[in-house]
Order: sequence, then C-alpha cells, then structure tokens
Amino acid sequence: MSEAIFILVSGIITGTVYAVFAAGLSLVYGTSRILNFAYGSFYMMAAYLAWFLVVRLELNYAVAAMVLLPALFLIGLVVDHLVIRRLRQSENWKLVSMMGTLGLALILDNAALVAFGPEQRSIPPISSNVVQMGPMFIGVQEIAIFFIAIVAIVALELFLRTAPLGQAMRAVSQDMQGASMVGIGVDRVFAVAFGLSLVLVGIAALTLSPVTLVSPQAGWPLFLKAFVIVVFGGLGSINGALIAALILGVTETAVIYYLGTSWTMLVWLLVLVIVLMVRPKGLLGVWGV
Amino acid sequence: MSVLDSIRSSASGKTVNDVDHGSVQQAGFLRRSQIAFATSVACLAGLGLAIESNYLLHILILALIWCVVVASWDLLMGYAGLMNFGQLVFFAVGGYASQMLALQAGLGALPSLFVAVAASASFGLLVGLPCLRLRGEYVALFTFAVHLAFPTLLQLGRNHGTGGSAGLMGGQPLELFGYSLTSADKTAWFFLMLAIASFCVWLIYFVLLRGRMGLAFIALRDAEQAARVLGVNEVRYRLLSFVISAGLTGLAGALYANYLGVIAPTVLGNEFFLIAMTMLCVGGMGRFPGVILGAFVITIGNELLREFGEYRLLILGVIVVASTIWLPHGIAAWLKIPRLPFRTRL
Repeated sequence: MSEAIFILVSGIITGTVYAVFAAGLSLVYGTSRILNFAYGSFYMMAAYLAWFLVVRLELNYAVAAMVLLPALFLIGLVVDHLVIRRLRQSENWKLVSMMGTLGLALILDNAALVAFGPEQRSIPPISSNVVQMGPMFIGVQEIAIFFIAIVAIVALELFLRTAPLGQAMRAVSQDMQGASMVGIGVDRVFAVAFGLSLVLVGIAALTLSPVTLVSPQAGWPLFLKAFVIVVFGGLGSINGALIAALILGVTETAVIYYLGTSWTMLVWLLVLVIVLMVRPKGLLGVWGV
Repeated sequence: MSVLDSIRSSASGKTVNDVDHGSVQQAGFLRRSQIAFATSVACLAGLGLAIESNYLLHILILALIWCVVVASWDLLMGYAGLMNFGQLVFFAVGGYASQMLALQAGLGALPSLFVAVAASASFGLLVGLPCLRLRGEYVALFTFAVHLAFPTLLQLGRNHGTGGSAGLMGGQPLELFGYSLTSADKTAWFFLMLAIASFCVWLIYFVLLRGRMGLAFIALRDAEQAARVLGVNEVRYRLLSFVISAGLTGLAGALYANYLGVIAPTVLGNEFFLIAMTMLCVGGMGRFPGVILGAFVITIGNELLREFGEYRLLILGVIVVASTIWLPHGIAAWLKIPRLPFRTRL
C-alpha cells in the first residue's frame, strides 16, 4: 500500500515537471505548426546554463532563475528570427523545418560537447532536507519542484486566457488565417511562443537537472518523453498535455520501481505506439491526424 | 492498368510544362539520364582501378555504402512523402542481424547477408504498418522515437547477443565465388560496393520510381482523393516502399558490418545521423541524383573537415541548417537539374 502511495506521489511530481516541459513543445506546435526537434537540445543547453550559473558562478537558485529565464526568452526570439522564421517561409516548410530544427539540435549538442566535454555534470539540489508526511518521507527538493511546476502551469494558463498576447496566441492556434485577418501579428505571436517555450524549458532545466545529470546527450530522452506526452494529450492542447504528463509520470515511476530504469524508454515508445494506434488525435486533440 | 496509364499520360504531360528548361521530352530525358548514370558508374570504376591509395578507396567504399542508404531514404522521404527519421535503425538491424547470425548461429557470411536483408525488410514492414495510419509529423515523431529507443534495446539485449555498447566484432570475411573479401582488400570491396550501390540506385530511381510505384506516388501527391477514387492502392505502395527501403538499407548495414568487421550502437549515434542528414539536405531530396551527389560530397567533405577536430560535427550541423534555409532543394536545384515528375508530396 505504502509503495503504491509512494509511486503515485513521486509520479505526480515528475508528471508536473514533464507537463511544464511538454507544454512548451505543444505551444510552439499549436501556434506555428512547427515541430521543434531541437526542443530537447534546448533543454540540454538550458541545463548547462543553469549549471554554469549555479555551480560555476555560485549564484543561488532564485538569482540564477532570474538571469536564466529572461536570457532563454531572448535566445528564443533570436533563434526564431534567424532560423525558424526563414524555415517557415520555405515552399516545402514542413519537411524543411523538421530538417532545420534537427540540424539545430545537432549544432547545440556538438557545441555543448566542444564547450563542456562529454562528462556528466550535476547541479546540487535546492535543498537536501527531508520532511515526514504521514507514513512516508518526501524531500524538500521534490516539494519545491512540484510547487514551481504548478505555479508555472497556472501562470501559463492565466497568460493564455487573460493576457492579450496569450489570447492572440490561442487565436492563432485555432485559425492562423482568421487571426491574421483580424489584425493579429502572426509572426510576432510565433516569436513570442517560441521564446516562451524556451522559458518553460528553462524552468524544467532548473527543476529537473539536480535530479538527472547534465550531459550533451541529456536532451534526447526528455525530448522523446515530451513528444509522447504531447501526442498522448493531443498535439496543440495544453490541458491534454497536463493530463497525459500526470498519467505518464506515474506510469514511468511504476516502471522504474518494478522493472528498472533501463526499461523506461521502451515503455515510452510502447505508449506512443498504443496511443497512435488506438486514438491518434490524443486525449484532447484539436486537429487530429 | 488503365487507371495508371491515364495517370502516366497526364504525368508525362505535366512533365513537359514542369521542366525548367523548356522542351525536354520525357523519353529523351530518361534515355539521357540513363546514359549519364552508366557513364558515372563507368567513371567510378575507372577511378577505382586508377586509385592506389587504400585511404582514398576506403572513403569511396564508405561513400558507396552511404549511396545505398540515402537513395533508399530518398525513396521514402523525397518521393513517397513519408517523413521517416528511423532509416539508420534499418541500417543497424541489417548490420546486427548479419553479425549476430554469423557469430551466434554460425551461419556463413553470405547466407547471413541474405537473412539480414530479410530481417531488416520485415523490420521495415513492422515500422511501416503503424505509419499507414499516420500523416506528416506523426510519422516523423514515431520513426524518430524508434530511432531514439533502439540503442536502449541493444543495451537490454546484451545477454541475448547484441554485445551491449561495445557492439559485435570478429565475423568471418565475406566469401564470393571462392574469393575471400577481407577488410584489407580495398579494391575488391570497392568493386563489390560499386556493383551493389549502382544496382540499388538503378532499382530505386530507374525501375521502381519510373514504374507503377512512382506513378502512384505522383498521383497521390497531386490529387490524393482522385487517385484513391480511381483505385490507386496507397497502403500497398507505402508499405512496399517501406519494405524495399528498409531491405536495401539493411543490405548496406550488413555490408558495412562485414566490411569493417564491427557493428556497434554508434551507428545510431549523433555522428552517423548528422552525416546522413547533411547528405539529404545538401543533396536535395526527391531530385535524383541529388542525394547521391550529397553522399559523395559529404563523405569526402567529412574527411576534409577532420582537420577541424572536435568542431567537425558542429560545422556539419551548421551546413544542415544553412542548406535548409538557403538551399532547400539542395545542390540538385542549384545545379539546375530539371525536376523529374516526382517531388515531395507536402
């Protein structure tokens, strides 16, 4: 019984962070229909930047976050302006944007390899204290991760529902041409969505990288997970991604607990295959396949 | 037959207008491209006789192996419109199957080569089946997920003979007509690979894509609904292209494993994937002979870039992004090679 509760609690904590990460991918796909293959590599880059700020410069987490997140937003705007926008203008934009973002991912990976070397880095946890909650012990780190992730998700929802730019984003994701006709600057919305997705990446990097290690290849497993979550939840649906992330977070924790970590990737792939076979448009998919 | 005939006539009608250079007739163009192809193969054969350096021959052998891989990749991505990012998994399946059969089952090198092709073709069927229900980016997602998850599978199969992260080595050299091809015998390997690569390229671009399969792809690309109503069997041609593409790539993988005498999970790593992508992007998909030129240019370029050391892969990545931005149809378009009646259905 207690192990079931443990799996549930720690699965939900993992799931909320995954939700934050997957939401960014969904946001960019929802607005611009660009599938960003470099998303995992941006996570890896953000994790290295977080390592640099926290370990090398010995800043505390709050300061590091205040430096990292705006910087990532700016990087997002620049990358969108220099690369993504040009790819989108291509006649064959779907294929070209996939190849282009994959190329970008490999640039980031190899840049990290050149700059930081192949060895893994670790970031110290925010706190290594443990508190007792009923029959089980939970690290303060996990609780902090959970609350940061929840705040990020709520803030994103509020932004999309109430802020004018957020509403513009939803309008673009529902009907790009219509949005452009009523005077929404579609390109600006794309750029902000891309920047925002990197901010979400940064939050995920700050919360996850103390748990997982930072290495040049660290982005790919997480990228696959984000994809499975987004497909499971429905491409373009943030709420769907949240539900899917919670389900898969618990599933992953159970798999790690009973079968071991080496099985996780295969289980994620299996979930992807089942979802694609049974319900390709996902739980709350908007467009379907 | 009559349906495809009508497509054939409309397709060739379209070609005349479609070709950038004005009045190139398709029949004449086909004959000329066949002559150009035969001449290129002959030139390469002459080059193989003239070159004495083992290093240069080694690079050309690798380029020919890559030719098979990117040509079969082009069949899926450039012509069938299936955004498959798992091609190197087929390569790995072919390589691993041949080595595992040779090492564990004690099969000879030649029979295990054939079984390896069958294994990767069936793996292609396995990957292709879910893709039938999917479109565009979903195919890309699924196949890329297979690519990302496959190394873990090789790790998990350590106890079942996959060799873990060290891979497999020590298979017997290939024997053909009583002649044993060792890795050191570069000239023999060069001519074997030249024969196989030109057969594969000819099969894909001159037989399959100019036959009913190519017509079906044009029809599905230009008027999907109409083609389906007329009875073009999309499922059959997509699956067939997956099976053929995977089988040929598996053959390349098995030959690669046999040539180097080793196969390791690195074939699914960052470097191989990046090199293959650069070939596709720089060469230009769906525009024969784009990717073939890409295979040669990038294999040789990759060797030239070695003097940049650790920056080599970074440079290749920059080339990929730059070519998708400024040269979205690759050097094929840049060389003003007229577009054949096929292009990506997107």
